[in-house]
Amino acid sequence: MSESMTADALPEETTDASASDVVVETRNLSKVYRDFWGRQKVNALKALDLEVKQGEIFGLLGPNGSGKSTTIKLLLGLLFPTSGQALVFNKDASDVSKNERIGYLPEESYLYKFLSATETLDFYGRLFDMPADVRRDRVNELISMVGLDWAKRRQLKEYSKGMTRRIGLAQALINDPELILLDEPTTGLDPIGTREMKDLIITLREQGKTVLMCSHLLADVQDVCDRIAILHQGELKELGRVDSLLKVQDVTQMQAQGLSKEAEEKIRAIVAEDGGELLSLENPTTTLEELFLSIVTDSEARPGRRAQGDN
Amino acid sequence: MTLEQAIPNFADWVFEAIRFLPIFMIVFAAAGFMIGYLVSAVRRGPVEGFYAVATVIGSAVVDIANTSVRRTLAMAMLAVQESIRRKVLVAFAVFIVVLLFAGWYLDVKSDNPGRLYLSFVLTSSNYLVLILALFLSTFSLPADIKNRTIYTIVTKPVRGTEIVLGRIIGFMAVGTAILVAMCLISYLFVVRGLSHEHRVDGEIQVTSTELSPDGSLQGSTTYDSHHRHTITMFDDETGETDVVMGHHHAVELAADGYQIGPPEGALAARVVRRGSLRFKDRSGKPGTGVNVGHEWAYRSYIEGGTLAAAVWTFDGMTADRYADGFNLELNLRVFRTHKGNIEKGILGSITIRNPDTGARIRSSEPISFAATEFSIDRQFIPRQLKAIDSDGTVSDVDLFEDLTDDGKLEVWIQCSERGQYYGMAEPDVYVLENDGNFAINFIKGFVGIWLQMLMVTTFGVGFSTFLSGPVGMLATLSTIVVGLFRQFIVDLVSGSMEGGGPIESLIRVLTQANVSIDLDIGRFPTLVVKFLDARFLDVLNVITMSLPDYAGFSTTEFVATGFNIEPSLLAMQVLRALTYFVFVTLIGYFFLKTREVAA
Ligand SMILES: Nc1ncnc2c1ncn2[C@@H]1O[C@H](COP(=O)(O)OP(=O)(O)OP(=O)(O)O)[C@@H](O)[C@H]1O
Ligand SMILES: [Mg+2]
Repeated sequence: MSESMTADALPEETTDASASDVVVETRNLSKVYRDFWGRQKVNALKALDLEVKQGEIFGLLGPNGSGKSTTIKLLLGLLFPTSGQALVFNKDASDVSKNERIGYLPEESYLYKFLSATETLDFYGRLFDMPADVRRDRVNELISMVGLDWAKRRQLKEYSKGMTRRIGLAQALINDPELILLDEPTTGLDPIGTREMKDLIITLREQGKTVLMCSHLLADVQDVCDRIAILHQGELKELGRVDSLLKVQDVTQMQAQGLSKEAEEKIRAIVAEDGGELLSLENPTTTLEELFLSIVTDSEARPGRRAQGDN
Repeated sequence: MTLEQAIPNFADWVFEAIRFLPIFMIVFAAAGFMIGYLVSAVRRGPVEGFYAVATVIGSAVVDIANTSVRRTLAMAMLAVQESIRRKVLVAFAVFIVVLLFAGWYLDVKSDNPGRLYLSFVLTSSNYLVLILALFLSTFSLPADIKNRTIYTIVTKPVRGTEIVLGRIIGFMAVGTAILVAMCLISYLFVVRGLSHEHRVDGEIQVTSTELSPDGSLQGSTTYDSHHRHTITMFDDETGETDVVMGHHHAVELAADGYQIGPPEGALAARVVRRGSLRFKDRSGKPGTGVNVGHEWAYRSYIEGGTLAAAVWTFDGMTADRYADGFNLELNLRVFRTHKGNIEKGILGSITIRNPDTGARIRSSEPISFAATEFSIDRQFIPRQLKAIDSDGTVSDVDLFEDLTDDGKLEVWIQCSERGQYYGMAEPDVYVLENDGNFAINFIKGFVGIWLQMLMVTTFGVGFSTFLSGPVGMLATLSTIVVGLFRQFIVDLVSGSMEGGGPIESLIRVLTQANVSIDLDIGRFPTLVVKFLDARFLDVLNVITMSLPDYAGFSTTEFVATGFNIEPSLLAMQVLRALTYFVFVTLIGYFFLKTREVAA
């Protein structure tokens, strides 16, 4: 996952601009988990409306149990919606053919422990009906991309968590997908692995691919995502571009150099005239962590407020 | 060997099956649709529900059309790898151990060790392979769902058909490999178990017996493996032993004395010619046999001392097939209304008749025989027979020239003792043809086991698409048990059950009412209870009839008793198994398709 993970490793995808550029769409998507008797257990997702556009990195954020994985599973057809619709490439999530263009990295790497790395990737390659020679090249390419050349003949049961995660990522990319769904991509990875994962995600975007990831590691999200949605208890609380969401509108920050004492006095006077106190002269950004915490506390204090998608 | 079911004529059977299949498919599809719609409508409401069912059916067509060989084989290979990891070879090891122990203990003084060895190896292979198939097939998919490894599968362009088919193919590949090994080892085990050597005991002398009054060279072998043979020399150099314990040996005079060859004839695959059966009633008119009541109507009975007769018509009886005459085997049931001499069989007669009613000679003289219960009587019908002309004179006739019509010949069997009955069904009397190849027959027996394994695997995988491992295993096991005891259940359902069906029985148990008195809960409730019970039994009946008849798939009897497994029987089994395979796979696919794998 280092140098080799650059654009030349993955063939450039020709992006068809004329095609509808909404890759993922949910309409009023809701999920209620029921028990065996059909009794309601958890209302995991409440009327979610989302759109993810071609070529963007979209982050789903939220505390544990807020419905992030549920959303991804609904999009993959692993779960069926209680009401509403999940569309991927304008097809219903239950349509198998959409999977040709999708890569999925599950929360934990659910792989067959008795296969080696090569066998694993070869197996998933077969599931895409890839011919033997294409498969062999692709498998080797991916194994070196995720940096597991040294362990590719070992059975996965001997792998460490991070190694399993890497091979999980490799299987998600086996078909060179257009849409990649990553459920907590950085868990289990060491700092270098985390860095490489983030680089990879950005590389994927540069190749015109769409990435939908969910995470509660805010720094990761802040670093790579173009847009985010924040979920809390199954409800959408915030939706928008990361840069605009993090811009604090009612604070101005100013930093200047070579300003004369008089000029400074003038500014101070203006600020004082308006009853303010000058700190610096620009819009600062908070950290995503602050935004996140404020949304969660706010939502707990005033349940029911919904985000209006402002994009 | 007794067949408890007639083997239908293959062409008739296939014709029936082809006629029945479309009806079955329509009922199957309609039932599937109805159930699907009901479930869906309860969940989503009538309109949405209909839409959902239509979508599923539509996508099923697309899925089936897009099923890829490569993906299916990939899934199959995974199943093989998984099986190896789950140490299936343990089953094989068990088999070897069982055989080794058996080799130790089976060395008994049986009067037919060949039959014993054969039914032992075939039965043990059969059960072991079915148990193996049961465990392999039912735990795999549920484990994938539980470990969530299925997530990375179903998010690839894999169709449900490929998941179900791949597993069946994979497990069958493993099972086939093991079965082939078992077949080879069993064969060697049987051949080795039967092999033994004799030497000549004492001298071979000229003796005169009743059979050869002018004297022949006779002697006897040493006592080995619990038996000895008597040797008869045909000429100075070659001879043969008599048949003891189901085999005989060739004897040869070589430079260093008499040599006794390996055992022969113990492993046979006799081919039989079957005829069609019709009955004459007690006045000699065409009719049906009598049902003596206590037995299931498969066999019919003819009354002794009357004109009642059972008539088999055989085809293809020509002189070039049976130069000196033919062997007829009879496996008649005897029903006594009075005890008679219980030691002796019930006397009867066999008459050979020409089916051509205009023939000069209609019938041979009756050949009398005694039918013993539960044993097969063999009668040699010689080519030279006595016949009674229409004017009553007795003359010598030739079996094939005078008593057959275009190769057709009738065998009439009558019971001679008044008040006693013979019972028979079509497969009970047949002409012994020639010996088929035993090894091929042995393989055919294993093909029968293979087909059973296919069905267990198919049902196992089918159930595992919606049941958890242990529950799926129990369900599959139930289908096997029902399949093995199918006849019993059918009888239970159709017969008059004392005390009524389940609900009525429960009421009787609770109110402690005797089974012989009427239910005392009022007229209308009684009707309701009886109605519900009847429907319950109907459901049970339908379930029983639609599950595979495992007992019917077992051809172990054929191989063990040395009868050729008729190709038509094998063909029917193959077609039946394939039908189950197709439909159960389809059902499994729909269950998998409509289930949330992540719930
Ligand atoms: N199979 C299930 N059956 C019942 N409830 C479930 C199931 N899966 C998830 N839930 C519930 O649904 C809610 C949302 O779960 P989900 O896995 O989507 O959360 P998440 O946002 O991915 O959390 P995390 O950050 O911990 O991964 C939780 O309350 C969880 O308990
Ligand atoms: Mg999650």
